[in-house]
Formats: sequence, structure tokens, C-alpha cells
Amino acid sequence: MNPCPIKIPFGPQHPALKEPENFLFEIEGERIVDVKPRIGYNHRGIEKAFECKTYIQNIYLAERICGICSDAHTTCYTQAIEELLGLEVPPRAKYIRVIIAELERIQSHALWIGLVAHEIGFDTLFMYVWRDRETVLDIFERISGNRIHYAMNTIGGVRRDISSAMVLEIKKSLNHMEERVKYYLDVVKSERTILKRAVDIGILEPKDAVNLGAVGPTLRASGVNHDVRVDDPYAAYDEIPFNVITHEDCDVLSRILVRCEEMHESIEIIHYALGYMPDGIIKTEIPMNFPEGETVSRVEAPRGELIHYLKSNGTRKPERYKVRSPTLGNIPALCRMLLGGFVADIPIVLAGIDPCFSCMDRMAFIDIKTDEKWVWTMQQLRRKFTNE
Amino acid sequence: MGLDHATAKKEVYKRMTTETMLLLRILVFPGVLFLFALAFFFEWVDRKFFARVQNRYGPLHTGQQGILQPLADFLKLLSKEDVTPYAADKIILFFVPISYLALPLTTLFIVPIASQMSLIAFEGDLIFIVFTFTLTIITVFFAGWSSTSRFSTMGSIRATLQMLSYEIPMGLSMIGPAMAASSLSVSRIVKWQSLHSWIVFIQPLGFAVFTVCLLAELQFVPFDIPEAETEIVAGWQTEFSGRKLALLRIGKDLELVLASALITSLYLGGCQRFWLIPPIVTFLVKTIMAVMLLSLLRAVFARFRIDQMLSGMWRYLLPLATIQIILIQLGLGR
Amino acid sequence: MEKEKEIVKRLKSFLGENLVKVTIPRERRIFSYIRKEVLREAVNYLVNVLRFKHISTITGVDLGGEIEVIYHLAYEGSILLSLRFTVSKEKPNVPTITDIVSGAVLYEREVHDFLGVKFDGHPDLSPLMLPEEWPQGVYPLRKEHKLEELKEMTSKKVGEKML
Repeated sequence: MNPCPIKIPFGPQHPALKEPENFLFEIEGERIVDVKPRIGYNHRGIEKAFECKTYIQNIYLAERICGICSDAHTTCYTQAIEELLGLEVPPRAKYIRVIIAELERIQSHALWIGLVAHEIGFDTLFMYVWRDRETVLDIFERISGNRIHYAMNTIGGVRRDISSAMVLEIKKSLNHMEERVKYYLDVVKSERTILKRAVDIGILEPKDAVNLGAVGPTLRASGVNHDVRVDDPYAAYDEIPFNVITHEDCDVLSRILVRCEEMHESIEIIHYALGYMPDGIIKTEIPMNFPEGETVSRVEAPRGELIHYLKSNGTRKPERYKVRSPTLGNIPALCRMLLGGFVADIPIVLAGIDPCFSCMDRMAFIDIKTDEKWVWTMQQLRRKFTNE
Repeated sequence: MGLDHATAKKEVYKRMTTETMLLLRILVFPGVLFLFALAFFFEWVDRKFFARVQNRYGPLHTGQQGILQPLADFLKLLSKEDVTPYAADKIILFFVPISYLALPLTTLFIVPIASQMSLIAFEGDLIFIVFTFTLTIITVFFAGWSSTSRFSTMGSIRATLQMLSYEIPMGLSMIGPAMAASSLSVSRIVKWQSLHSWIVFIQPLGFAVFTVCLLAELQFVPFDIPEAETEIVAGWQTEFSGRKLALLRIGKDLELVLASALITSLYLGGCQRFWLIPPIVTFLVKTIMAVMLLSLLRAVFARFRIDQMLSGMWRYLLPLATIQIILIQLGLGR
Repeated sequence: MEKEKEIVKRLKSFLGENLVKVTIPRERRIFSYIRKEVLREAVNYLVNVLRFKHISTITGVDLGGEIEVIYHLAYEGSILLSLRFTVSKEKPNVPTITDIVSGAVLYEREVHDFLGVKFDGHPDLSPLMLPEEWPQGVYPLRKEHKLEELKEMTSKKVGEKML
């Protein structure tokens, strides 16, 4: 019998994908022979839009590149501008940036663990983790007034301070979160049904990981010790001691363990930062003139290395602003992981890289494919394009 | 002659009342209406218990503590549009929900609910029950096959594969109680348990095997592979909507009733009369406990992959079931 | 700054005058300009000899008459070197580096989609983020296309589809 590869499209709408993507799989039996990714369903034309707005307006745009890692984008953005201007951010603001970034990391990893549990059919764990994630979102609401887009960063520092009353509340919530993280680590390491779905699935060798440009926990779960917070320190990370978590097994379970333990590390970092936060102002004045020049800014977002490139032409609007989100860096590695695996493992391997397609697709234009889904509601579409 | 006429009339009258009584028993209690009510009730128990384990509320607002929610869902589905795919086989698609609903319903007549004797009892009705389980899976297969969508086909293939693995261990674990009671009739097995002891105490292995196989039959996690939401939308149920989906859902609930009724009758003593407590009450208490057990198992496991389930069933469950039978033959389970 | 200076020295000695300009604006950042012809040798040297094994991304910038292509490579995750050169807009051909660094495959597609740079030897330059019906030759990130004009284009296309 001649094996003829069957092509299975996965997406753009599929219950396993929280955002639309398209992968074309060629399979033989239940094994995957080839993967072709086709992304771009969430394009919103953000890079072009950056060039049409002023630097201050762009802070809001940068924040909305992604909902879960919004603070990482604004940190990266403001750092790029501050480096261009030669601004030194006040020490207290640096510590606050660290605290917010680490809180975001905890919240993002918690969301991800819930999603992975849901992918493998373990709804109970999903419900528990998302209930505990509410603790972190409540902290955000206390500090900034928002659960998701916290709008804490601005050029020259941060916009809101953390009072001492807030510090006590944060510490209490963190202690609760600490216990829960320990519990989840135990569950993940010992629950047989999870282990059967995650051990030796989605293998990515360290050499491949580096060569294919993988970043973040995906890279660290293959044993490679790269973390932008340590290699290229920013904000106050050079003053705060912490461990970079790596695991050697290169499978989906390693990725789960890396993220769980990173949650634990983040809690430690926040405790340290709260304890050693210096007093002082939280924002410096920005000059009226923006010189010509270019900068590259890098940040360790929850999903991996986030890099922004800025080119300024001396006006109040950027000449060119480029964003490369971590998920785009992980897609070639994802394709390598899927080759030779089972069809039934596609959702969990895909979830294993913590994909955030909104972050990834933000170039050129409003994608026609996305609009095609809404062609049925003609009113909505007409309103959308003619009123702008 | 007048006397003949009177006795004749009395005969007819008596037959009419017995037949009316039988009709009432079939249609109302413990028949169709009662079983439907029980189906809704058990769905509520399952959803509520599952939710509480997950630290959620579950159904809350419709009726006291949400008890009317399953009925509300059923009525809502009845009123929704029935969308059939263009290429689907309409005749088979029409009969699938009816068959899926009718099979557990008729099978439940065999299980004694309100008295020691069920509505239908004959020597060998246990085999009939096994037969209806197989028919149910064939119905599921037809559901996916006639829907002609990619997801439905995959779902029905998986359902059939699943049946191939649990059918034998399940049959073996049902034969265990029959061997103890020396009868292939569920009613007699129940009677035997009321005279001796509950079979779960003398055949615990069979009880465990039977429960696991029922989880697979009901397509509960960890065996909900045929309807794995994150992989193939809703599996074989994908293309059913409106009235057909309503019938499918109540059919699923009736299967839950059947599963818990079988656990109760074959292993937990069935409907017995305890002092002054009528049999129906003991039946309800035991079946609710069985539902909660199934619900708990559903909540604490993740889903298996199809190849893992197949190998697990054949490598572990089948030997265990066989060991139980051997033990019974050696005299340990009578 | 020691490591950065050492890298610059070795790069200078390898490329000679093909390394047009190099600056170290701050620690862990090196900006360099090279001639397009030595792209592959430079990348090969950086990746395999100097161990800049991680490619962060590839940026394209529209400078008016030319397009600037910038390769961002990272050493051990810490020092970021930006390697750049320009190509003319009429003939924007650049040799691919996907055989040296496999991770560049999607980044080259992205620059091709939005700025029209053709990477010779790339295994698959099909559109990455633009839809299939997108008109040929319209590269959205080039300066000649304004935001409003592109919006009109997409709305007109959608309108045609609806009719």
C-alpha cells in the first residue's frame, strides 16, 4: 500500500486555538510529515501606525499590541525612547518596572498553565489555576486601577507609585500565590494523566533550538541558559539576584516545569524588590526635542525575548519602529517539534510554546482574511471602514 | 345468565385495570416520565458535583440551586433551529437521535427500580443489556458517518475504537455478579443480593473494572476521546443541532441513569427494602452515590490519547477482569 | 566593553574595508555597516567563528531611494550586533542566509512581504502575513504607501467581494 500523505488544515478557526492561525499538516496515518505555517490573521497594521503617531501617543499603541504581555511591550518601548534621549530613569521607577513586569509574568504563566490543562482535558486544574490568577489581577487593580492594560510605564519612568499600604497587601497575596504554585508543581510532577500527555512529546534538541532562533521558556526547557534579564539587564535586574530556570529534557513537561518554577522565582524577585525599593521620584522630565538616531531595546517578556528597533529622524514621530515578538521567534522551532509527532499531540505541542498570535502578527494591514469572517454582517463591515 | 354477564363484565373490568395499571407503570412510574425526570435530575447532580469539585457554583439560578437547569437547556434546544449539513444523509441523521434516546430508555425497564421485579424481566436480560450497549455504539458510528463532516467522522471512528477496547472487560465484569447469583436476570441478581450480601464486597475487582468501563461507555473523561472538544470540536455530535441535539442530550442523561442503575443493581444491592424504607428510596440513594462517583472520576483525570487508552484497556483492564472471573470460579466470589 | 571591543577588532580584521563603519553606542550594542557583497561571509564568520548563534530578527527600513536591511544577531544572548547594508529599490535582491541560520526563514519572508526585498535562494518566499489576494507589487511598509490609501484599498477589496 502506497502511503499517500493526507493534508489536514488546522485553523484558522479551531477550538484548540484561542486566536486564528493556519497550519497545513501533511500526515501519514497518525504521524506528521510536514508543517507549513500561515500566519497573519491578526494583523492590525501596527508598525505602519507607529510611524503616523507621536512618541507619546505610541505608548498607548505599544501597550495594545498584546493583552497578556502589554507591560513588556511598553517597557521595551519606553526603554528604546529613553536610550535615544539619553534619559536616566529614576531608581524607584526601575524597581517598580521590575515589580510590574514580574507580576505580569506570574499572571501570564498562570493563564498558560490553565490553557495547557484544558488542552489535555483536565478542566479541574484549569479552573483552579484561573481562580488563583485572580489574586494577581486583583493586585494589578489595586496598583493601577486596571486588570489588564495597566498603563504603568511612560517615557522617563512610571505613572503611578506603590504606597506602603499596597506593599503589605501585595506581600499577603504573594504568600498565598506561593503556596498555590507549590501545589501546582506537585500536581504536574505526579499526576499520571498529565505525564502521559507531556513526557517525551514535542522534543526540541538544544542545537536546533538555538539555530532556529527559539526564545524564552521554550529555549530554556531545552537546557539553554539564555534570559535577557541576566544577559542584557534592563530596569533594576542587575541589582536583584535570582535564578534562571532551565530543564534538560526538551519536552512539553520541561516547558511546564520551567514556567511553574519561573512563577516561583518571580515571587521571590518581587519580595526582594519590595524590600529594597529606594525612595524618590518616579518620573523624570523629557526634553522637547528628539534627536536623530537609532536604538535597539530588548526585554524578557513572559514568552521570551522581545526586541524593538527604533529609528528617529529628529521629528516627534518615529521614522521606523520594528517589533519582533517572541512567538514569531518560536514558530520555526514549533514546526521542528511537530515533525514526526502524532496528530493528537498537535494542540499540546502548540500550546507548549505559549503562542500569542496577536503579538506576532502586528505588521502592515488589516487583513482581508479576518474581515472575510465578518462579511456576513454587512452592516458591521460598512460601518467599520467608512466611518474612519 | 345474568351471573355470567356480571362475571364476564368483572373479568373485562379486571383486565382493563391491570392493563391500565401496566400502561401507567410503563409510561409514568417507574416508566418513561419518571425516567425522564430522573435523567434531568441526575444531570443536575453530575453538573453540580463536578462544579463544586472545581470550586465553581455550577447551575445556580433556574429553580432552587439550579435544579431546573437541565430541563431549561432541553426546552431551549427544542426551540432552536435544526441545521443539517448539505451532504449529510438525512434519513439516518433523523433516526440517530431517536435510537440514541430509545435504547437506554427501554433498557432501563429491565432494571428493578421500585420493586424487586422490574417491568420486564426474563432469564438472559443481562445479555440483552450488553447487546443494547453495542447497539448504542453502532448508533454513534452512524451519527458520525451520516454527518459527513471531517470532525464527525474522526469522532465516530474513535468511538468505535473505544468500544472495541472496553466491551470485553465490561461484559466480563457484568458476568461476575451473574455467576454469583447463578442467574442471567438483573432482577434475580438483585434478589440474591438482598438475601446474601452486596456483591461489591465479594467481587471488589469486578466493581472497579465495571466502573472504569462505564466511564468509557459514557464517554466521560478520561475517555471522552470521541468528543474531545479541543481536538475535534464535538466529535460525532458536531453536526447535530436543535431538536436532534436535545434528544441526544437527554439520551446521554438516560445513559448516565442506566450506568448508575446498573452499578447499583449489579454490585450495590439494587433496590432493597430496609425496614420501613421503600425500595425506591434505597435505589435513589445508591444511584446518586454512583453518579457522584462517576462525576468525581471525571473531575480528577485528564484525557487519554486514543492509543494510550487502547493499550491501557487491553493490557490492564482485560487481565484484571479475567482474574476476577477466575477468582469466582475458584469459589472466592460466590 | 572589553568583549565588544574585541569583537569589533576581529570583525575588522576579517572584513577589512568591506566593513564600512562600526560603532559601539553603549555596552552590549554594536552597530555596523557592511557592503552587501560580503553579507554571507560576514554572517558565517559571526555565527560560526565568533559564536553569535542567536538571530533576533531582520529589520527592513525604507530610506526613500534605497532599502536598508539590518540583521540583529546576539552573542550568548547578551551582546547585540546589528549588521546592515542598503539595496536599491529597483533591484532589491539580497542573498539568503537561511542555510547558515535556519531561524532567519520567517524573518526574511516578513521583510519580503512588507518591503519587497527578494532573498535569492530562500526555500519559500510565499506571503507570510499578507493575504493571498493582496495585489502584487504593493509593499505596505514602503513610504510611498500612506496609511489612508492602504485602508481604502482593503475596504474596496472587501466591498468587491461582497458584491
